[in-house]
Amino acid sequence: MNTLTDWLPTLMIFLPVLGSLLLLVVPKTFRDEVAGFIAALTLGAGLAIWRGGGSELFRWDWIPPLGITYSVQLSGVSLALALVTAFMSFIAILYTARRIPNPGPMLSLILAMETGLIGIFAAQDLLLFYVFFEDALIPALLMLAMYGKAGRMRALVKFAAYTLFGSLLMLVSIIGVKALGGSPTFAMTDLKAHLVTGPAQTWLYLGFLAAMAVKLPLWPLHAWLPDFHEQNHDSGVPDVMGTLYKVGGYGLFTFAIPLFPDASLELRPILMGLAAFTALYAAWIAFRQTDWKRLLAYAGLSHMGFVGLGVFSLNETAVIGAMYLLAFQNLYTGALFLSVGMVQERIGSLETRVGGVMTQAGALSGLTMALWFASIAVPGLAGFIGEFSILLGAYQVSPWLTFIAGITTIAAAAYALTAFQTTFWQARPRGAVTVRDLVHTEWLVLALPLAVLVLFGVYSTPALNLMQPAVRTVLSALGGN
Amino acid sequence: MLTPPDVALTPMLPVLIVLAGALASTLLGFWVPRLTLTFINIGALLLSGASLALLWNRGLTAFGGGFVADNAALLLAFVLLIGTLMTLLVTLDTAWRARVSFPEFDAMLMYAVTGCLLIAFSGDLVVMLIGLEIMSLSSYVLATLQGSRRAEESGLKYFLLGAAGSAVLIYGLAFVYGATGSLNYAEIAARVASVQGLNPENVGILVGGALLLLCGFGFKVALAPFHQWTPDVYGGAPTSVSLFLSTVVKVAAFAGMLRVFSGALADAPGWHSVLQILIAATLIIGNFAALRQGNFKRMLAYSAVAHTGFLAMALLGTPQAGGAALTYYLLIYTLMTAAALAIVAALQRSEAGFENNDMRGLYYRHPGYAVALAICLASLAGLPPFAGFFGKYLVFQAAFQNGYVWLSVLAALTSVAALVYYLRPAMLMFMPDRTPAREYAHGQRPPTTFAVALGVGGVTVLGLLPNLWYGWVANPGIWSLLAGR
Repeated sequence: MNTLTDWLPTLMIFLPVLGSLLLLVVPKTFRDEVAGFIAALTLGAGLAIWRGGGSELFRWDWIPPLGITYSVQLSGVSLALALVTAFMSFIAILYTARRIPNPGPMLSLILAMETGLIGIFAAQDLLLFYVFFEDALIPALLMLAMYGKAGRMRALVKFAAYTLFGSLLMLVSIIGVKALGGSPTFAMTDLKAHLVTGPAQTWLYLGFLAAMAVKLPLWPLHAWLPDFHEQNHDSGVPDVMGTLYKVGGYGLFTFAIPLFPDASLELRPILMGLAAFTALYAAWIAFRQTDWKRLLAYAGLSHMGFVGLGVFSLNETAVIGAMYLLAFQNLYTGALFLSVGMVQERIGSLETRVGGVMTQAGALSGLTMALWFASIAVPGLAGFIGEFSILLGAYQVSPWLTFIAGITTIAAAAYALTAFQTTFWQARPRGAVTVRDLVHTEWLVLALPLAVLVLFGVYSTPALNLMQPAVRTVLSALGGN
Repeated sequence: MLTPPDVALTPMLPVLIVLAGALASTLLGFWVPRLTLTFINIGALLLSGASLALLWNRGLTAFGGGFVADNAALLLAFVLLIGTLMTLLVTLDTAWRARVSFPEFDAMLMYAVTGCLLIAFSGDLVVMLIGLEIMSLSSYVLATLQGSRRAEESGLKYFLLGAAGSAVLIYGLAFVYGATGSLNYAEIAARVASVQGLNPENVGILVGGALLLLCGFGFKVALAPFHQWTPDVYGGAPTSVSLFLSTVVKVAAFAGMLRVFSGALADAPGWHSVLQILIAATLIIGNFAALRQGNFKRMLAYSAVAHTGFLAMALLGTPQAGGAALTYYLLIYTLMTAAALAIVAALQRSEAGFENNDMRGLYYRHPGYAVALAICLASLAGLPPFAGFFGKYLVFQAAFQNGYVWLSVLAALTSVAALVYYLRPAMLMFMPDRTPAREYAHGQRPPTTFAVALGVGGVTVLGLLPNLWYGWVANPGIWSLLAGR
């Protein structure tokens, strides 16, 4: 057993938070460089794990009397999501350093949040997962408090109340899973060997679902999402982190399916229905938005409905598609939030009806358009593979619900193209400010995610190879479904 | 034939040292300034803490089992001493500003701590009652010591309700004695547990006694509906006194509850079902009332009520799980509440504390205190990685495993309200603000800062490595011996 590979996931988790603390003492002139370096190093650690074919399970007894272990593993789906997180955090830092005046606290918060997020994906102990799950919340709240707009207090309270409402019920469920199942520890390997059966499983699943449905978010627990994005800083940097925070789909996949297999099957039709409705409903609302951030928030919500549909269907193809979409949705939605931030920086508004940006800022508009194509699942970009697999798999389980969700793709094209048209095309109003095109690192901020999206849209094998075995293992808990 | 009383001084060492500090404050107060006395008392606390280590694992008793220095007592005493230490550190800076800076303050405080320790070390109901009365009487004086109308009002309220609580408690005590024929915890427990020991006709009296004791303790720890004095007293007393009352005094009262309910009356019928109703009421009332408070200090007072609900959940667990959970939570609760109130004491302009809105932009004026206060609030709210999370987790678990699932779910749901009222001030601190500062400019002083650092460092370290403290309290053997069995 190689000790370095054992430690790599731990390093990848805690490197950002150490960097975040380091930033407090680094002189102002080097702060951006240090933050970027730490983020790059974290991404590098992730790539090293990928190159080694994922990490083994690392386990250390954290609090022995309580049966809480520090079990982490980055492989398969969790590695893919951790890599995306590291990548987007790096992009966010790249943009923050240029865009936000006196970016110190923001850089610290991004790095602190990255630790929580990677921890969420790496955790293989239910209580450790909860700890990281809540940890990621604190920087998100602070970003909103420190950089938000006038109505942030309301948005903040809403966000916190929804999130914690779910997660505290999940905590009770977590206690229940161990207490009723009789497992010695909270480590997944032990919990899987001591499954709770019967009606208790359904109740515990519902508790767990409460947290995940808020995060996913699933209708009717989504109301915090648009406010959260609308009230965040104009630059879109906190939104990127907020996008990454939507880990509900992952949590359901890694923890809920193996621990509550019977309940998952039992509730499948209802949950698939809710997910399909969420996708369509959000797309419909998105169509009517005139604020870019709200529009993107609802678009993201619609994608999450798709992810939910895939996960709840418990079909192999659909689940792979859901994880694929979850990973790459973070890339394009995140990058789109940043592009919205750039537009706002130039014209001072988040309005979707400003008109004519393309005539002066061709590169910005072009890259944004390509990202929108990824978002509405144009073939050749990564979003397509995810959405297509979900629809393909879910169709085998429930054709009608899939059909309803499928309409969303048309609706998505409608809202995306309408908004894009009214902002970037049409005529530039008289007397409007001149729009500057992309400068410096802004090129990288939009082009790098797009490059990744094109790469995995055309050549999806590496990502699929990473995810498929993990999905098979998880679904095997259902007993050959 | 007369038997000489079983007087052993070694097990009483922690109490005697603190008592010596109290006596010294009373007598030396005529010649020595208060500052010197405070340092003497801090020294006494440290010595008393050291004597705890001396008694660890020896299980000594005095007065024929009326006074027991078992590990449970030592752990609880440690929590009490930490809380007192933090109080004294804070008074070093703020007592003169609160106009309570005279030797009597220190004397009363140390007498109160003596009473608190007696409760923790009690082996029978009478010793417990003596400790409780010493503690209560001293606290009434402490709450009134500042010569302001608000303090007098709150002190009077505290005295009247507290006296009623004590009366109920004594009545209950008499009932329990009547039912079991003993005042000793171990003997009560033995009689309650066996059919032969307890006369069937006496079961009704026992149940009545247990319930009266529950009401009496309910007054002391502020369980709803006996909590009404808390917001007024905590809000009206000088902040350093509120700090003392809401941490040390509450810990002591819980120590008494742990002794009586998880020890002596563990197998008695009836009180469990009443306690769970009281806890449910406390959780709901405490959390939702706190939600409506605009004054930060009053909000903390209601939050103390809400935390009573969480703490009392531990009593519903088995003595082994519950005792460990309660003792863990009490230390964490002391650290975070004391640190939060220490910051209030340092930064407030008047003894009424400050309004939530005054906290806007605090981070940009006092970054250290603001971050510390945010950590305390996050910990009070139960957000990991701070220790408050594990406290909450442990009591949830204790109650859940003993079958109180609905109460765990209710506690989780009411916690959402808690998060909202903790988060609002915490986030206000980080919002940029251009208006002039509204807090006391010279509040940041080394002793307060040290107390805050102790609290914040404690909740952070114990949050990352809970086993540092939980490892001590986790041994189930400690708690099965609660009643001396």
